[in-house]
Amino acid sequence: MLGLQLAIAGVATGSVYALIALGIVLIYKCSGVVNFAQGAYAMLGAYISYFMLRLHLPAVVAVLAAMAIMAVIGAATERLILRRMLKAQIVSVMMVTLGLLIFFRALCLAVWGPDQIAFPQIFPAGSIDFAGVYITYNYVAAFALATTLSVAFLCFYQFTAIGLMQRCTADNTRAALAIGIHVSNQISIAWAASAALAGLGGALLATLGGLSLTISDIGLVAFPVIVVGGLDSLVGALIAGFLLGVLEAFTEGMLTPALETVLRKFTSIDSVGALQQVIPYALLVLMLLLRPQGIFGRRGVERV
Amino acid sequence: MTKRSFLVALALAIGFAVVGFESGRFWAYLVYSVAIASIGALSLNILIGYCGQITFAQGALIGVGAYGAGIAGNAGWGAASLLVGAVCSALVSLLIGLPALRLRGLYFAISTLAAQFILNYLFKILQPLTNGVSGLVVKPLMLFGRPANDEQYAVICVGLLFLSWLVLTRIIQTNVGRAFLVVRESELVARGMGVDVARAKIQAFLLSGFFAGLCGGLIAFTSRLANPEAFEIGLSVDQTAMIIVGGLGSLGGSIIGAGFVTLLPEAIERLGELLPSADLISAFREMAFGILIILFLLLEPRGIVALARRIFARRGAAARTNLPDRASYGSGAISAQNGRKA
Amino acid sequence: MKKLTIAAALACAIAAAAPARAEITVCTWGTITGPDALVNGMTYGTRDYLEYLNQTQGGIAGNKLKVLMLDGRYKLDEELKIYRRCADQEQAVVINGWSTGASKALRDQIQEDGIPFISESFASEVLDPQKYPYTFIAGPTYEQQIIIALRDLAARGGKKVVLMYSDNEYGRGPVNVVRQSGVIEKLGLEVADLVEYRYDAQDVTAQMLRIKGKNPDLVYVQGSTPQLLVALRDAAKVGLPAKLFMGNLYNISPAIPEQLGAAADGFRAVQTYAFYGDDIPAMKEIEDYAKKNEVEKKDIYFIKGWLKGKVIAAAIGNAIKKNGGQVPADLKAFRKSVRDEMEALKDFDDGGITPPFTYADHQGSVQARIAEIKNGKYTPLGAWINAR
Repeated sequence: MLGLQLAIAGVATGSVYALIALGIVLIYKCSGVVNFAQGAYAMLGAYISYFMLRLHLPAVVAVLAAMAIMAVIGAATERLILRRMLKAQIVSVMMVTLGLLIFFRALCLAVWGPDQIAFPQIFPAGSIDFAGVYITYNYVAAFALATTLSVAFLCFYQFTAIGLMQRCTADNTRAALAIGIHVSNQISIAWAASAALAGLGGALLATLGGLSLTISDIGLVAFPVIVVGGLDSLVGALIAGFLLGVLEAFTEGMLTPALETVLRKFTSIDSVGALQQVIPYALLVLMLLLRPQGIFGRRGVERV
Repeated sequence: MTKRSFLVALALAIGFAVVGFESGRFWAYLVYSVAIASIGALSLNILIGYCGQITFAQGALIGVGAYGAGIAGNAGWGAASLLVGAVCSALVSLLIGLPALRLRGLYFAISTLAAQFILNYLFKILQPLTNGVSGLVVKPLMLFGRPANDEQYAVICVGLLFLSWLVLTRIIQTNVGRAFLVVRESELVARGMGVDVARAKIQAFLLSGFFAGLCGGLIAFTSRLANPEAFEIGLSVDQTAMIIVGGLGSLGGSIIGAGFVTLLPEAIERLGELLPSADLISAFREMAFGILIILFLLLEPRGIVALARRIFARRGAAARTNLPDRASYGSGAISAQNGRKA
Repeated sequence: MKKLTIAAALACAIAAAAPARAEITVCTWGTITGPDALVNGMTYGTRDYLEYLNQTQGGIAGNKLKVLMLDGRYKLDEELKIYRRCADQEQAVVINGWSTGASKALRDQIQEDGIPFISESFASEVLDPQKYPYTFIAGPTYEQQIIIALRDLAARGGKKVVLMYSDNEYGRGPVNVVRQSGVIEKLGLEVADLVEYRYDAQDVTAQMLRIKGKNPDLVYVQGSTPQLLVALRDAAKVGLPAKLFMGNLYNISPAIPEQLGAAADGFRAVQTYAFYGDDIPAMKEIEDYAKKNEVEKKDIYFIKGWLKGKVIAAAIGNAIKKNGGQVPADLKAFRKSVRDEMEALKDFDDGGITPPFTYADHQGSVQARIAEIKNGKYTPLGAWINAR
């Protein structure tokens, strides 16, 4: 029973990881930028949704409006900042996204203050009691929304004309230019879509855990996800997101208590702390050493 | 290193040591904070700026030095514990660097991100060694039979910074240092030139780790507490910001950057105290830091050093640049690196 | 050269902004922004009380107070810097600091400087009138608060207790001290489990399931309000009632019933100060102050801040009185005298915030009572009891 309950909690948070990771991979594929600011997009999306909800807009309209605003912000970041950094070194590009993260956090701090805010209920409260397993509507809704959107996005990417141009740009920029694709527009679209996805992810996180600046940490949590899935694989990010969510839940619910029982018996260590946060990173290191392109990634040139 | 640059640096060091010693504890604190941060930035610049190995584990590495020095200090090793911390960090740095022999660019950077999180987790967990989340209370460094005070620390830290700068400047001018630069530009070329790439990388990690550890040891002794929260990813970001603002691949730039990043928040705060809301001051501080990083990267990616050089060049003083410790060989303009798609 | 220019420019910026020294400076720093900003009413309250004195009585014995409120951001280096600024540059007479970490890192320094220092932390590690005669705290330690909860459980015939705490100093420290003291066994209780969670956890379902499996009579949470919000929400999710949970002073926040609604009913917390809005003389002053000023935080932490303000003002006032109505010219002597007067406060009436207390133990009031959330409001159960 415990296992099932943990699996459900894991899948629900995992679906949000997947959403965030999807955005990071999308940007990386298209523009080669590793975006540390993805967590900031999630946070900003959550705060903007909150602002919209406070205007007594219907929940659907509010979240959609927030996503639209996020898309504009995403595209603007690309146009105003990242586009000027095409020739910069990797470390500079990483740092510029970190600078964005710091800036957006400070912006939210200035506007909404440092305290945690109760996020309005957009889904009905309460839970389904399913043979001793509790499933809250929040979880169901977060899971359903995140998954639907991710799959819808994958379909869009796979089957539409814009999707085709996106893939083409990601595959080979020069070839894309040669056949007349407006590459820089495609890159802007990728950033816009990615920021919008992150915005929705942030809003979902806020319904699950309340609204605060810490939502931006999700960006760093998502990194093991994308590496394990493969930096350039959207499907990989999706699957790895779910896997890591479940893995985290099981670590927290089963491995940690078991380990602690043993440790308390034999050592003076009382607690293994936030093991669930480290395991993904340990997995990441292992993955990098054994198969750096990730489970679903294509064999890259990054290995010597 | 010319004689002239040596003398200028020495004069500056003495000047700052005197400022730190004579202007009261608050200034002493600022002086040694900048000096300590500078040692960290020097070490990071060796790795990122000179050898081209991007790392996000600097914060945790400094932490290793702090714990190493703290434990040795509490066991009664005195000033030698700084060395213990430095050696600990060098070894851990080597360990973090090993994947660099197989991974490159972005992938290696992400693996160091993992190292940062795992090390910080270990600080919290290894209760018997690190005293866990409570933090390790470090016994003060004894000087002339009394615990060293802020003013003395200011002199010690500035002195150690000067020494570190001296040592690193010398090393950069040897074949070891030149090998770093070639590895940064292209591993392929390096191999073609007969540079042992693996060896150069290992040397860079050891060297950088050693000084990161020294920085950590000084933090432990000056703050009297080594706690995991002080060595989180935020410290890595601050340190990277320092070398970017100062100038990648410039030792003098690291020091200027460290001063800028350490003092800017304080300056903004003092100005911001005229504002009515305390929340807003902090928000502005953070915002200014973010904007600073972004603007520097956009407008002057090679940092204050390059900016200064440009200004001086306009004044026709280009020939007599008094920033001697730049990596004058190598193109300086660092090409778009292998990891990024154009 | 550039190094000098930049340093000089910054120095000018800093020096220009640094105001001249006022007559009596009191420094207070807290987490104005940062992870535990929710309880920073403690910092605002102290500043506001001293400002209130400035506005209504022209300061203390006719001497204007300069009150400096700074943001430590819950970062050690920041707090260490602020301490030096307060002690050295601002020449503060009394300093009111924040975190346990900084209080520990600074304890010898405070000693050497001879500055009366009130720590916001309730950790017993900083409280030792013999070893650290300049350090004060303002209320029962975390350990004493845990013991109050445990005693209550024992009195009601409970047996199994789960201790739940965050993975930082604030969480682990006090729980370990209580466990090692043997009090739990003495009370005839049994620790069913120790459960740790991340201090910024957004989901503790797994921990709640773990607790559920142990079937305890009490879950004591050593956490801050944001963590309690998460814990109670997830407890409700897995079917653990809020009445099973108990927290400390930092869990008395209107945010809990507001955000959780009925799921919070029955949650209990250890209360060590009067509530904001209680019918006490101190509240009258606050209302008076609020007429002309904005009160940033209307909660129990602000009340604690107000109390500290009263203690500081009383000690400074007495020190001036001792000196014949004059502010002592020598700062070091002034600080020492303020410390002595602080320690000498006897049956101090703080306007009903706590029962009158004596500050010789550097702790002040150790009275506490248990408050329960009933219909969305904290309601005290019974009278004040001594936590010792």
